Amino acid sequence: MNKKFLGLAPLLIFVLLCVFLYQGLFGNPRELQTGRLGQTMPAFELPDLMDEQKRWTDQDLLGEVYLLNVWGTWCPTCIAELGYLTELREQGVRIIGLYYEQAYDPDFGDQFDINYLRTDVQQMLARAGDPYQFNILDLERTLALDLGVSGAPETFLVDKNGKIILHHTGDINPRVWRSKFAPAIQELQP
Amino acid sequence: MKKLMLALALLAGLWSLSANAVEDKYQFKDAEREQTFKELVQELRCPKCQNQNIADSDAVVAKDLRDRVLDMVHEGKSKQEVIDFMIDRYGYFVHYQPPVTPATIVLWVMPVVILVLGFGFIVFRQKKAARKQSWSPEDEQKLAELIKQSQRKERTS
Repeated sequence: MNKKFLGLAPLLIFVLLCVFLYQGLFGNPRELQTGRLGQTMPAFELPDLMDEQKRWTDQDLLGEVYLLNVWGTWCPTCIAELGYLTELREQGVRIIGLYYEQAYDPDFGDQFDINYLRTDVQQMLARAGDPYQFNILDLERTLALDLGVSGAPETFLVDKNGKIILHHTGDINPRVWRSKFAPAIQELQP
Repeated sequence: MKKLMLALALLAGLWSLSANAVEDKYQFKDAEREQTFKELVQELRCPKCQNQNIADSDAVVAKDLRDRVLDMVHEGKSKQEVIDFMIDRYGYFVHYQPPVTPATIVLWVMPVVILVLGFGFIVFRQKKAARKQSWSPEDEQKLAELIKQSQRKERTS
C-alpha cells in the first residue's frame, strides 16, 4: 500500500501543479489589487467638475446605492463604456463620476486649463452619452489613491451606508454587469 | 580597442545615470530617510504595470505612489507604516514580499517541504543500500567456496 502510494506521488504532484497553473492561466491578475473592499468610502472634500464653488464630501453620497465611475476623456475605454453606462442610468442606476485628471500634473501634461477641460467633457458627454448625476474633480488624485485606483476606467459599487461592495477594474459591459454588478445590487436591495 | 573602451565608459555612464535618476529629483533631510525611500520604491509594486516596481515605472499611479511615499518619509513615517498604508489601499499585491496568509502559505511552506522530502528520500535510500551491503564471515566463506568451484570448472573444461 505504502509503496503503491509512493509510486503514484509524482503523478499526483503533476496533476496538482497542472490545476494550479491552469488557474493562473485564466485568472485575472488585476482582480487582486483591491484593499478597500468592505470598508467605508474614505473621507474627502473635492469640487464639482463643472462648478468650482460646489464641493462634494463623502457625507453627500450617503443614503443611496451608487456606482462611482473613475474616468477621463483621455481614456478610450472610458469613452467606450459611456454608452452602456447611460443605458444603466436610464434603468435607474445612480452613477457618479470621479474625474481622473492627469494633465494637471507637471510630469504628465505641459499645461492645464480647467475651462478647456469642462468644454472637452461636455462635448464628450453630449456625443457619447451622459451617465453621470455629477462629476467629482480629483485634480491631485488623492481620493483615487485612497480608493486604490490604479488607472481608468475603474468602478466601485457603494451601498447606502458608504460601504464599498465591489471594485471593478476595466470597462463595464453587459457581460460584466450581469455576472458581477447585477447580483451584488440585487443583494443590497431585497 | 579604444572604441570598445569608449562604448564601455558610455554604458557605465548611462547606467549610473539611470541608477541615480530617482534620487536626484528629491531632497532628503538625512541619509536614513533617503535610504528608507530608496528601499520602499524598490519594494513597492506598480499596481498598473504588474511587473515593475514603482521606481521603475512611468505609469501615473506609480508616480503618485512615489510622491506619497516621499511625503510620508518626510513626515518621518517608518518603512512599515508606509507599506501598511499602501496595502490598505492596493491590497497585498502592492508589496513584493507576500505576507504569510492562508492564500500564500503554500509559497512559504512548499520549499521547506520539498527540501525535507528530498533530503529524507536520499537518507532513506542510503540506509536501504547500506543494509544490503551487510557482510558476515559466513558470506565470506560462501564466496570463497564459490570462487573455488568456478576455478575448478575452468580447469576441467
